[in-house]
Amino acid sequence: MRCFLSLFCPEIDEDRLAKLVAWCDRYSPLVSRDGSNGAILDITGCAHLFGGEDDLLFDLQRRLERMGLEAHAAIADSWGAAWALARYGGHQFIVHGASQTIAALDGLPVEALRLPENTVWELRRLGIVNIAALRRMAANSLTTRFGPVVVQRLQQALLQAEEPLTPWRPPAVYRASRMLAEPVSTVGSVEYVLQDLLREVCGKLELNHLGSRHMDLACFRVDGTVDRCEARTSKPNRSVPHMMRLFAGNLEKLWANFGFETFVLSVCDAEPLYPLQASLASNELEQGESFDLLVDRVGMKLGFGEVNRIVVRESYLPEYATAFCPAASASIPASAEWPEYRVRPVRLIDPPMPIQVSVSIPGGEPVQFLIGRQNHRVVRCEGPERLFAEWWRDPENTDRSRDYYRVEDEQGMRFWMYLDATRTSWYLHGHFA
Amino acid sequence: MPTSSSVLEQLRQQIDTLEHRQTAVVPVAKAVNQWLPHRGVPAGCIHEVKGAHLSNAIAFAGILSARLAGDNGQVLYLAPDRRLHPLGLLPYGLKLNQILHVSAKRQQDLAWVALEALRCAQVSAVVAVLDGIDLKDSRRLQLAAEDSGATGFFLGHAASAPIASPVTRWRIAPHVSGDRQRRFDQPSWKVDLLYCRGGRPGSWTLEWRGGQEQTLAEVLPQPQPMQTAVSNNKTAAYALAG
Repeated sequence: MRCFLSLFCPEIDEDRLAKLVAWCDRYSPLVSRDGSNGAILDITGCAHLFGGEDDLLFDLQRRLERMGLEAHAAIADSWGAAWALARYGGHQFIVHGASQTIAALDGLPVEALRLPENTVWELRRLGIVNIAALRRMAANSLTTRFGPVVVQRLQQALLQAEEPLTPWRPPAVYRASRMLAEPVSTVGSVEYVLQDLLREVCGKLELNHLGSRHMDLACFRVDGTVDRCEARTSKPNRSVPHMMRLFAGNLEKLWANFGFETFVLSVCDAEPLYPLQASLASNELEQGESFDLLVDRVGMKLGFGEVNRIVVRESYLPEYATAFCPAASASIPASAEWPEYRVRPVRLIDPPMPIQVSVSIPGGEPVQFLIGRQNHRVVRCEGPERLFAEWWRDPENTDRSRDYYRVEDEQGMRFWMYLDATRTSWYLHGHFA
Repeated sequence: MPTSSSVLEQLRQQIDTLEHRQTAVVPVAKAVNQWLPHRGVPAGCIHEVKGAHLSNAIAFAGILSARLAGDNGQVLYLAPDRRLHPLGLLPYGLKLNQILHVSAKRQQDLAWVALEALRCAQVSAVVAVLDGIDLKDSRRLQLAAEDSGATGFFLGHAASAPIASPVTRWRIAPHVSGDRQRRFDQPSWKVDLLYCRGGRPGSWTLEWRGGQEQTLAEVLPQPQPMQTAVSNNKTAAYALAG
């Protein structure tokens, strides 16, 4: 049997509600916002962690009260019933079982069923004021009169139909939490708690032959707000010291304010990681790891988009010929072969720089050119190498050709330049070594 | 009786063993190796490579790091931008799957990555477009490199600030080969060794021979047309005329 907790805050604004939903994470991993002034928590299997449903409800209400929020909460076996009780239930907060649910809902008005406003108005006009009256009506006549929504809502509330809950963020693969008696605000104490959490989570990962790719630490402040920091890795990993090192840089950015009282560590993304047999003779294993750790550390500091492997793609245009592929991504596409006879510069100029070039007649080869105000006389010239965009590229560009020349000036500097499709403008596109 | 040069060699080796210095070296070119005190550019050290243009420095450091990396090593390329055209490095012996490209806008971040990378024993070479490293950072990088055996090349163009206290300092400038048939990916350079710890500065003209050879070879200066011989002929002609 599932168990839902519905939270109703009549006078809450959009911004505060988003924060409240994030904060509710401390009670259950499955939380979603519910309309414009409430939240719904799937607390199936969570209540005993807080000493039972009564204690959970009491704890929640006490904390919300301390935050200065007017809030009503109720627990029931279905989303619909919890929603109705939180808003119209009066003094009844916890209801379980089909018969109890029916008894609790019977006296409530039809608004309690999450119906559209005009349907409620219509029902009232027909003299159907409460749920008991609605329940006595035949389902097919209700459907012909009001459409499927009324029957559906009624069945959902009375546990006769399932209702899925979409959590506000994807539920974690693994999760561990610590609630502290006293709030902490120093990096050292957060590290201590984190180490404890990591040991628990990494132990679970090891049992299941998994490694984490993305961990998220949620730190709940005393005032009901949440701060987060995360650790991403390029390869699945479950080593506590390594994870500690990845978190270390971010822990300093946490802002404790009045102190953190609860920590939740979730593994958002896990991948298979099989145990490896360490060998006495060689330290190959350690070496292989240390390079991945370097990628992780650099990626965590600069962002994983800045740490790239280079892949050759099937294109001759210099802009598309190579791609930077994040080294942390699970699969790096296979590299194409680059033909040796296509000589390419070491550095590109991006975007290509317009230059003035004088050409020989006939032939059209560059004879001298200006870069800024400096004149370069061409001593040697190879080309043209005509490059087209492939047909699947932008149709505007596909029929444009560029004639590339490799050029050496009298000082031995080597350049890569091209004449564009208009046959009038020259661009400098790269430097050879 | 041992010659003075062999005695010197022995002494050098004794000092090296006393100082636990890395004696692993990477060869450059035959003529350069003979000039250098360790018969090559020492690995596990930091080096400065300045090019007349940055691309010269990249290619020279690329050749050395490809030799350091061999088949399985990793080469980190650090730069503030993404203007490197990796296909241009293929002729210099680097394999693209060995290169890890890290870009960071800020100098401090680049220096941090360089330090972290030099600490990693699996990294063969760190090629960083980074200048103006002060003495403290330079020492830190050098110690990290000595510990792990990774080699650092710090690149810049002619106008960029020097780095403090490298083991060797190189300047690479293009050289007009005059050979119209040479491929553009087989450049010739004027390579100046501006500073070398425990050695003397030197200067060579080298050309890269790619393809099967993969060597840097010294270009000996072309014998100049002899002015005196011409004038002698002239005088002879005058003499005849006379």
